[in-house]
Amino acid sequence: MWAVIVRRLVVAALVALAVSVMTFCLSHVAIDPALALAGDSATDLDIETIRERHGFDRPVVVQYADYLVRLLQLDFGTSYLTNRPVLEMVAERLPATALLAVLSIAFALALAIPLGVAAALRPNSIIDRFALFLAVAGQSIPNFWAGLLLILLFGVQLRWLPISGSDTLAHFVLPMIALGSYATPALMRLTRAGMLDVLSSDYIRTARAMGLSQGSILFRWGLRNALLPVISLTAVQFGFMLGGSIIIESVFAIQGIGYLAWQSMSRADMPVIQAIVLMISMFYIALTLLADLLNAWTDPRLRTPT
Amino acid sequence: MKRVLATAAISALTLGVLTLGGDAVKAGPDDNSLTIGLGEEFPNLNGYLNTARDGVVMTRHLFDTLIWRNPETFEYEPLLATSWRQIDERSWEFDLRDGVTFHDGSEFSAEDVTFTLNRYADPEAGARSQASVGWIERVEAVDARTVRIVSKEPFPAALEFIAGSLPIYPSDAYQAAGPDAFGQSPIGTGPYALTAVEGGTYTLTRNPAYFADGGKGTPSIEVLRVRTIPDSATRIAELIGGGIDWTWNMPSDQIEQLSDIPGVTAVLGSTMRIAMVALDAAGRTSEGNPLTDVRVRQAINHAIDRETIVTNLVGGDGRTINAPCYPRQFGCDESAAVVYDYDPEKAKALLAEAGFSEGFTVEMASYRDRARAEAVQAYLAVIGITANLEMLQARASFSAWREGQIGMWYGDWGSFSIADASASMGNFFNGGTNDGARDEEIMALIAEANVSVDPETRKQSYAEAITLASERAYWVPMHTIVMGYAYKSDLDFTPHVDELPRFFSASWK
Repeated sequence: MWAVIVRRLVVAALVALAVSVMTFCLSHVAIDPALALAGDSATDLDIETIRERHGFDRPVVVQYADYLVRLLQLDFGTSYLTNRPVLEMVAERLPATALLAVLSIAFALALAIPLGVAAALRPNSIIDRFALFLAVAGQSIPNFWAGLLLILLFGVQLRWLPISGSDTLAHFVLPMIALGSYATPALMRLTRAGMLDVLSSDYIRTARAMGLSQGSILFRWGLRNALLPVISLTAVQFGFMLGGSIIIESVFAIQGIGYLAWQSMSRADMPVIQAIVLMISMFYIALTLLADLLNAWTDPRLRTPT
Repeated sequence: MKRVLATAAISALTLGVLTLGGDAVKAGPDDNSLTIGLGEEFPNLNGYLNTARDGVVMTRHLFDTLIWRNPETFEYEPLLATSWRQIDERSWEFDLRDGVTFHDGSEFSAEDVTFTLNRYADPEAGARSQASVGWIERVEAVDARTVRIVSKEPFPAALEFIAGSLPIYPSDAYQAAGPDAFGQSPIGTGPYALTAVEGGTYTLTRNPAYFADGGKGTPSIEVLRVRTIPDSATRIAELIGGGIDWTWNMPSDQIEQLSDIPGVTAVLGSTMRIAMVALDAAGRTSEGNPLTDVRVRQAINHAIDRETIVTNLVGGDGRTINAPCYPRQFGCDESAAVVYDYDPEKAKALLAEAGFSEGFTVEMASYRDRARAEAVQAYLAVIGITANLEMLQARASFSAWREGQIGMWYGDWGSFSIADASASMGNFFNGGTNDGARDEEIMALIAEANVSVDPETRKQSYAEAITLASERAYWVPMHTIVMGYAYKSDLDFTPHVDELPRFFSASWK
């Protein structure tokens, strides 16, 4: 087990390095960073001053090496725009994004698992069709559009919920639904398929023959096995949410990492972009690792090395 | 199944509880507050480091400049200085107002002026707009209530910058805090003081000690709440739902729909911003490309029906322009420009004469408005020019033009709200990266006009530059840009052409 974890961590570090090279190169290729920082109404003199000030006139390789050396000292640099330490800015925004992601995945699971199970129990029934409809709708509606629809209905028409901002928990309800509804369909269909599969398997038939209660069969033996792939998918979806939150956070004006990323991208504030991309990719790697470990814990067969 | 139901019930309950947690939005006129929805977050409130428009707007509320330009009359009026005079061709002297205090209670003095301006005139201080401060050689106190600003060379636009982009900071408080911390919690003499920053909302409270007899007057609204909401659809929803009272940067096609909503006023206000199709006459994209031929550039000028674009796609009180500057800017003499009427047949003839009767293909970039850019593309197609249009982010689009990657650029320029042709022509025909013409003759005229102290000489030089630039058709001067504002109908608010909303002059009816 430990060997697996160590190997995964080494891979994670290599992936992070590759990601850092890519973001660094991309942000230099896409746009002249001095120009981006200088803004729309900058004169040539302004651009030149910024170029020298931030060392953009040095070769890209030198700039990258410099960046890497600082990174190894856990120095994520200072934002070009605010002059504040990147780590501080990211840390400030992290709670809002974490809260949104956790709420959204919880919302998605709370919807997906019961619906998936119910649909599997009565294939082709009304519930099953309803679940299928939800799945198709959820996956085909872009989440920023879903967000706007929710805003119009619950914010403008009914005035039940605040439209934008992140001051109170109530501010997170609409974004949670918008972001969570995108993850729901895949999770639900996987639950349904897994459940159908499990329910027709030999050991469930045996359990039924032994006279175990329906509840015990479903939840103790059925769901536990059906959920294995769902766990892996949840991890992946959770990672997606961090990406999706870039759009959702700007639609709902939530002061989180996604919003910060969007803001930094539109102004080429590279130290911040690099830190966020690096962080998200590390997070992704950690999530997949976690999913594997969880699976191993849920399914003893996966614990034995092959 | 029970557990399933339990989960569902808990979810429903949570939703219900959370709903109760939503704070009722405080309405504007009731507590005399104004909630402003901006689209762009400003990195800090230091007016020298922050050039984002939304941030500039806020600094005007927190800080004062020595003098102020009346947005209606374009005349200079007293602010922190009560009177001023030119001493010689490089020096201006200002008498400072008595009894002005900063938000922290400290008294405003000549030292604050000399400190602030000398500090940011130093390139090391990192002012984002070097054009605003780079001309200053030194600032000195003549006595406790008089300061003198000396420019490096004669600088006719000095008062424009002093009135516009040079806020005065408290020297002691600034030095104690340092530039970054000061930008986070600024202290000024302005009509409003920053009193809280929470969850992305800035709260500005009326400065009770504000002097009434300056150009800005006494503010009527007690509290300004400033929120950043990047998505314009969300901003509209917030305005309708009552979450904000005022917003801008609304797309012009939505202004009409917005004005149908009861209680909402939506207007298109004209601005100092001008739009142009700049042409690669210098051959930066490739030497000898079709655009280096003056007949081709003239053909393009004849091919585009600017009037129709303005009527149908700009709207409001947008208008066509003929010179490469904003008509109300000093030195922007439109009568000096050669005007090209809409005449596609003439355009085709000119193209044929230049040897391009079969037309050609050119790369074109734009950013602000796809419909307008596509209209230009369609007009060009009529005379046989295929323009490959690329809609980009503003900065990427600027970058493409400046780096000479595109032949045509449908861009715009706001002149930093400076009402002097040096801020428009001076930036596009000076041989810099913005200059797609690189015309030595025009460059010489601009250089002369930029430093000449005699207003008549300046006017003359700019007029000659305008004639040459239009004769040689370096641009298709297009139109002024309009800004879409939307706000509660019971708010008394006046948009101004310099795109600087003044909430200290706004009030609830």
